[in-house]
Amino acid sequence: MHLAIEQVAKSFGSVVALDNVSLGVDTGEFVCLLGPSGCGKTTLLRIIAGLLTMDSGRLTLAGRDLTQVPARLRGFGIVFQSYSLFPNMSVAANIGYGLKLRGTPTADIAKRVNDLLALIKLPQIADRYPWELSGGQQQRVALARAIAADPALLLLDEPLSALDAKVRAELREEIRDLQRRLGIPTVMVTHDQEEALTLADRIVCMSRGRIEQAGTPADLYARPTTRFVADFMGVSNLIEPSRLSALLPQLMQDYPGGDQLLCLRPEHLAVRPGTLGKVMSTTFLGNITRLKLDTPLGMLVAELPGQADFAPGDGIDIAPDPARGAWVAA
Amino acid sequence: MTAVSAVAPRVTPLARERADRIFDLACLWIPAAALLLFFVYPIGMMGYRSLLLPDGSLGFGNFSQIIGSRSFLRALVNSLTMGLATTAVTVALGLLLAFALHRCRLWLRIVLLGAISLPVIAPSLVQGLGLIFLLGRNGLINKTFGLQVEIYGFWGLLIANSLYALPQAAMIIGAALRNADARLFEAAEVMGATGWRRFIDLTLPNIRFGLLSATFVVFTVTITDFGNAAVIGGDYTVLAIEIYNQVIGQMNLNLGAVVGMLLLLPTVLAFYFERLATQRQFGTQSEAAVPYRPGHDPWRDGIIGTLAWLVALAPVTVVGVVVYASFMRLWPYRLDFTLRHYDIKLAGGYDPLWISIGISAAAAGFGTIFLLFLGVALKRLGGPAARAIYFVSMLPAAVPGLVLGLAYVFAFNQPGTPLILLYGSAALLAMCNFYHYHTQGFATMTTGLRQIPPALEEAATCIGASAWAVLRDVYIPYTLPTLISVFFFLFMSSMVTLSAVIFLVTPNLMLAAVTVMRLDEGGYTAQAAAFSTAIMLVVTAALLLARGTLWLAQRRIRLSAEA
Ligand SMILES: Nc1ncnc2c1ncn2[C@@H]1O[C@H](COP(=O)(O)OP(=O)(O)O)[C@@H](O)[C@H]1O
Ligand SMILES: [Mg+2]
Repeated sequence: MHLAIEQVAKSFGSVVALDNVSLGVDTGEFVCLLGPSGCGKTTLLRIIAGLLTMDSGRLTLAGRDLTQVPARLRGFGIVFQSYSLFPNMSVAANIGYGLKLRGTPTADIAKRVNDLLALIKLPQIADRYPWELSGGQQQRVALARAIAADPALLLLDEPLSALDAKVRAELREEIRDLQRRLGIPTVMVTHDQEEALTLADRIVCMSRGRIEQAGTPADLYARPTTRFVADFMGVSNLIEPSRLSALLPQLMQDYPGGDQLLCLRPEHLAVRPGTLGKVMSTTFLGNITRLKLDTPLGMLVAELPGQADFAPGDGIDIAPDPARGAWVAA
Repeated sequence: MTAVSAVAPRVTPLARERADRIFDLACLWIPAAALLLFFVYPIGMMGYRSLLLPDGSLGFGNFSQIIGSRSFLRALVNSLTMGLATTAVTVALGLLLAFALHRCRLWLRIVLLGAISLPVIAPSLVQGLGLIFLLGRNGLINKTFGLQVEIYGFWGLLIANSLYALPQAAMIIGAALRNADARLFEAAEVMGATGWRRFIDLTLPNIRFGLLSATFVVFTVTITDFGNAAVIGGDYTVLAIEIYNQVIGQMNLNLGAVVGMLLLLPTVLAFYFERLATQRQFGTQSEAAVPYRPGHDPWRDGIIGTLAWLVALAPVTVVGVVVYASFMRLWPYRLDFTLRHYDIKLAGGYDPLWISIGISAAAAGFGTIFLLFLGVALKRLGGPAARAIYFVSMLPAAVPGLVLGLAYVFAFNQPGTPLILLYGSAALLAMCNFYHYHTQGFATMTTGLRQIPPALEEAATCIGASAWAVLRDVYIPYTLPTLISVFFFLFMSSMVTLSAVIFLVTPNLMLAAVTVMRLDEGGYTAQAAAFSTAIMLVVTAALLLARGTLWLAQRRIRLSAEA
């Protein structure tokens, strides 16, 4: 384990921001902290960076205890949501600042800055000032600045959420390529599940200061373990076991017992004409069609590829694959 | 707004519309005409007089003649030396204080703020007076330790001027420091920058306009200040004193006009840099900026905090000793409590204090109404005329009080014009005070008016309210806190100012701050201290009244918002 976070707790007055969180980041791994606003993601990131002290817990980097190490000696890189470039410095000076602080010779700094500018595909802007750049460009420079001094860990706090949709998608790709290429272990905070799904090796889904579930994007999507994760990672149909055992007993095979719900993703419902329920509405979304179904199991959402042959009022049956369902804690 | 009224039913008859228009125009042109008469015209007259040669032609002869004069040159060199020295000291200390207030975690921060703002409530010669009580020939220090420290002259004036200008420097630099984005500092910290490097690489470069602006303001305040130079300057003659002696003593008006024009130079520059500073402050580029909150740092807070408290001790001591000495039987020999210095029979007793209160109240009342009208009219009317008036309204800040007072002499002490009727009147003093502080009041007023939701005004107009009703029911209630702030700002500034009115007072129409100077000149220092204390008492009472009414007004707005 490269970075290890053990039992970290933090409160602001009576607000518990982090409730005994434990987490590891492997060498070269991209970890996304995902969760709704106010769940403690930024707090955790700032504790890792050393910008905030924790109330209790332990933080180690490659076995070395970081608790007493101030932020400036941790050797990390950070990018914030707002463009936090130094307004009084040119792009080159911004990127080279960390190296300058380390006493790197000027010629080496200039070379490194040029390499980084090429890496972020903005080779011409070394002498410009932050206010002369667009939001997307500023964020790329911020990224170059964060990785300039070969950080032991890269920290990103919602780096894309201030950008408009198109730039965001572009930069998302680039962040991923860059991270994979350089192999810098990275922790990124986001509240956007799509961002987390596309970027992360591992997603850590948080809610109210706790880790709900951690795993690969595929894991979290296909096998959520709590109702919160099922809801947060895309659309889900949550069905009570009491209704299932009467209508679709084959889905009860893996029922672990207790207060659990079956989570079925809309694309796994396998809708066909029948008598179980009926279609309430259809919405054509281009590559898929979304159906709202009224069934004795409750209101369900189904997604069929392309344009589906159903109209509101049609009778339907569903035949979900039991292997696709996941039992989640209610 | 036009789109709304185009579709709304026309409840406003044509006559009403015309009345509204006349009302708007009156709101604009009455204050604008006053601005022309009491600000633009006097400055213009002074410029004209500086160029008018004895043979009636125009030219730069006066300038070359005066610049060649020995006494002028000496005063000029003294003033420049004093200006530079005071600026260096004050900007450095102002940076220290502003940094302590905005970038450190201090114990009793608000008390520190109060301590360094203390000179604002006192007439400008109180610093000089206090220094004399402490360090003068018959001062506490010399008598206690048997020393012969000579405070009159360069050093005394340097300390007094620095104390006087310090609150302004700390305020301007503080405004630049306050707008910092916390993320910049965090980014630098994670990149490995120590606190000291962050200060050098981020803080200083980003407040450079604030520092520049403070430099010019302090320089200007110093070379145009009158009170301290008169009290503690001794033989170290500066321009302000030289002008006063030449104009009032020897009626050498040409010299006054020329020096007045020359003194406009640094202030126009200062004014320019101040505007630049407010436009280009730290972090203005990002709306998502997170305000900087200083973290826990015992070394920084300990060292900076201690230094700041030591600096703040100076104004407290100097002002405090004036108050203290005013109650002592014979300073510094017999320190028993007495009220006898408050029994002032000389120079009209307390009449000047009452006249000052009356004139200040008139300046504040009139000024607030004019500024409200002007602000509302500029908000409702557009066009080149309105923009020009806006620009002129911002200019008085570039004219030092001393120059404005001089300019009034040229404009109103003109036998053969009807304006001579105003000369020597209380009304002229009130107008002079108002236009001296016009810019600051105007800026506060326009900021306050900008906060009124536009929808409110449109809604009121659409349901058929006349312009006057909108003013009464929308503008006045919503800007009540602003009106209160502007009124008390004008009142308090008028109470303590000396440099403009010194040229306009007459033996029958004496003002409080001038009386303090006369008492001191006459050797009645204890009475001067008592009179200063009385002024500070009035200003403090006004300050408390302002706080109280502001609190009430804001509570009313809060309650009505909740209801
Ligand atoms: N400096 C602070 N002072 C007080 N409360 C804070 C502070 N920072 C964060 N909080 C609280 O801690 C909780 C977690 O905040 P944060 O970590 O910023 O959430 P997220 O980044 O997931 O949106 C929130 O309830 C927030 O209000
Ligand atoms: Mg956050």
